[in-house]
Amino acid sequence: MIMMLPFLTTLIAIALSMRGMRQEAIGAWVVSFIIFLVWMKYHMTDTLNISL
Amino acid sequence: MFSLTNSRNSLTNTVSIWLNLLGLLAICGSLLAAFYYQIVLNELPCPLCQLQRVALTLVGIGMLLNIRFGASNTHYAMIVASALVGAATSMRQVLLHIAPGDPGYGSALFGLHFYTWGLISFVVTIAFCALMLCIDRYPTKSFSRDTPRTIANAVIILFLILAAANTISSVMVCQFGSCPDNPTQYLWKF
Repeated sequence: MIMMLPFLTTLIAIALSMRGMRQEAIGAWVVSFIIFLVWMKYHMTDTLNISL
Repeated sequence: MFSLTNSRNSLTNTVSIWLNLLGLLAICGSLLAAFYYQIVLNELPCPLCQLQRVALTLVGIGMLLNIRFGASNTHYAMIVASALVGAATSMRQVLLHIAPGDPGYGSALFGLHFYTWGLISFVVTIAFCALMLCIDRYPTKSFSRDTPRTIANAVIILFLILAAANTISSVMVCQFGSCPDNPTQYLWKF
């Protein structure tokens, strides 16, 4: 899992938005969001250290 | 009647832009605070902390699009979706440290850890969107005439710089792989 990847794609989305490329910026946001979900699953599926 | 509608439209446009600008400024403030603790107090971000930074940036992109191209339901949907996954990440980290005697991760600010503040911020962001979707009753495609350009550009450039700094920081903390669960030193130093 390359942690810098979602940071890079969000940076690209911001740059595209600043250049006036709305559709492309939304596309980069979608890519970032998908990467985020995958990374989230990777980092959030281990057992919690709590007992009920 | 036409002019009345037009003037109301203009008012909501201006309010919308200013509130989105304030929201983006708040995101920049949060990211700056995170950098302060990272650089000055040497508290390196854990993987979940980094994911929360990404979620904050994703929320900020929705606000940036509202400022740059005018309010749209799509942009608000992007903000809500980002805030939801950000809140899930924060909640996960709160649960990781919820057991009695657990000191938590990192320093506390006003008695709460950053991930707890993160959860509050994401919930407030969702409430913000609910409010904005009521105010922005006449969404248009272009707001350029009403945009306070100097302030907007300054905030947007600050946001860009912080996103670039976060990219560099993530490489320094994790290199080009997955992050250690409890990072204590930079894996890559320039």
